[in-house]
Amino acid sequence: MVVRLLLGLIFVLVAFAVVRALAPARAALAGIVLGAGAVVLVALNRQAITSVEFWAGLVGFAAILSALMIVIHPNPMVSVLFLIVNLFSVALFYLILNAQFLAAIQVIVYAGAIMVLFLFVVMLLNLKAEEGLRGGGGPQRYGAVILGGLFAGLMFHALRNRGPRPYFEPGSFDSGFGTARELGRLLFTRYLFAFEAASLLLIAAMIGAVVLAKRRLR
Amino acid sequence: MKSVEFFLLVAALLFTIGCVGVLVRRNAIVILMCIELMLNAVNLTFAAFAHESQSMAGHVFVFFVMTVAAAEAAVGLAIVIALFRRRRTTDVDDASLMRW
Amino acid sequence: MDPAVTRVLVEASVKIALFFGVLLTVIAYMTWVERRVSAWIQDRRGPNRVGPFGLLQPLADGIKFLFKEAITPPHVYRPVYLLAPVMIFIPALVTFSVVPIGPAVTLFGRRIPLLIADVDNGVLIILAFASMGVYGVALAGWSSNNKYSLMGGLRSSAQLISYELAMGIAIVGVLMATGSLRLTDIVTHQIANGWNALWQLPGFLIFVIAAFAETNRLPFDLPEAETELVAGYHTEYSGMRFSMFYMAEYANMITASALATTLYLGGYHVPGLAALGLPETAMVIVQVLAFCLKVAFFLFVFVWVRWTLPRFRYDQLMNLGWKGLLPIALAHVLWVSFLVLAGRA
Repeated sequence: MVVRLLLGLIFVLVAFAVVRALAPARAALAGIVLGAGAVVLVALNRQAITSVEFWAGLVGFAAILSALMIVIHPNPMVSVLFLIVNLFSVALFYLILNAQFLAAIQVIVYAGAIMVLFLFVVMLLNLKAEEGLRGGGGPQRYGAVILGGLFAGLMFHALRNRGPRPYFEPGSFDSGFGTARELGRLLFTRYLFAFEAASLLLIAAMIGAVVLAKRRLR
Repeated sequence: MKSVEFFLLVAALLFTIGCVGVLVRRNAIVILMCIELMLNAVNLTFAAFAHESQSMAGHVFVFFVMTVAAAEAAVGLAIVIALFRRRRTTDVDDASLMRW
Repeated sequence: MDPAVTRVLVEASVKIALFFGVLLTVIAYMTWVERRVSAWIQDRRGPNRVGPFGLLQPLADGIKFLFKEAITPPHVYRPVYLLAPVMIFIPALVTFSVVPIGPAVTLFGRRIPLLIADVDNGVLIILAFASMGVYGVALAGWSSNNKYSLMGGLRSSAQLISYELAMGIAIVGVLMATGSLRLTDIVTHQIANGWNALWQLPGFLIFVIAAFAETNRLPFDLPEAETELVAGYHTEYSGMRFSMFYMAEYANMITASALATTLYLGGYHVPGLAALGLPETAMVIVQVLAFCLKVAFFLFVFVWVRWTLPRFRYDQLMNLGWKGLLPIALAHVLWVSFLVLAGRA
């Protein structure tokens, strides 16, 4: 089952994060372990995966890997690029989940505008690679590792006792689910107040951003 | 019934990684990026549940979360720029004037 | 694999091969067109040595670029430096995949629409990939580790995102009239109700001006102007990588022209063709040719304006984008909403 595969992937990723946290110089080794572990898990998975599940798994792997690289890589510009990759993976997830309008909006708004903003700021402030991670010393790190392991165990237990589930079906495009028309209908009737409030929020944010970034408040 | 555990799992992982990033990184901009990562994980959860229940309300929520995320990113970055102008650093540990 | 999936994949692959083959050839010959038309405007001959009328000139240029030494300066940030030309080129090509070049044909017993991806939200795909095109420029400027490139990259990205807004709002006018995000529906609507350029002239002009800015063409090409910024964001690129930027600019031009014809000039529509009663194949061919002619007209306008108008200064450019085009675009949306209410459709 795909869930089993992904759980195995989680363990490999946790191992990677642990290695990186405790021995930063071994990140390359951790990367190799990660890749080898993923390949082994895919090879050992005997049950047939449908085509959709395969692609969903691949996109999931890309999303999680890019998210990890955002947190781990010291250079902020590289973090920005990996976040763009992550946003693209989430847009692909939206496509698989029949949310076509959301996928396009994700690319236009998030990956195409918000990330350009981040890119501009990183380029203008000319940020270099930072040295070292933040925070406490030895005991805190080991505590984090132990708690992370407990969390992984909790997730494993929570998902282990589910009954047999059918394979994921992406569904059809005929019902109009996920199109702009349906979303617009809801936005302009049931959620109209929230829609107008959101526009007010955006105006406030625009004015706030311009005022805060001014050189001298006159 | 459609199976959405996979997407919930991925979203939970992304949220955790974002959380860890906020706590661990020192650069204010990378912290803001990890917050965006957490918001994306939440969006993915909404979209997954919307697909499972075939209800567009989840999509409406995602729309609003994106709007708020855009506004928050803009204002957050403006604050970071203003801080940078005074202190020449984006290190959040240096913004400690009001600490006891 | 599922036979339906296989069929879709085969159909899409054939279309992709055809489209992109034609597109890349047109890109190569745009260089020839540019040089001949600019020569004609400037009252001189263009290239006429290599082959009849200089038609083999692009071939010679291509060979020259292939043999040129691609110097990678040591001070650049390698991974992003190598990625940037690719990130500029891909959005231009992908955006072209949702543009219909002709009506649906019936081949091999199936109705095949003449576009690679007939998706429900074609217009959003165009806007999405236009947003992605900003990254190539910004990253090229940043990774070159050179203050002129950085300035050029930043200026160009700021220009691109500013004019994207006006372009998007002008497109909203078309969407309101049509009621659908699918480009084939937009063309069908124009066939039934008259070309959008007639009723939405301000939107059409805004779209064309914004297209000039989006493709970094004169009069909006300050970010890559030689006299200002030492060639701007592609200063540090040489050989084949530089030609990628060049080709990406022409690909963007072609895509912008194709979009302008599809959204405003009725796409492949030839008024009065249905009355002639030709066989279906002939009608399809005539309509595809009509589409190509309209795109060619826009490409000619691109080249013509480039060699006629002087360049905008950067602050003039940003003023025009935010204080000029954006309010006019918003007023245009209001105007179109009145038209739609009045039933003009």
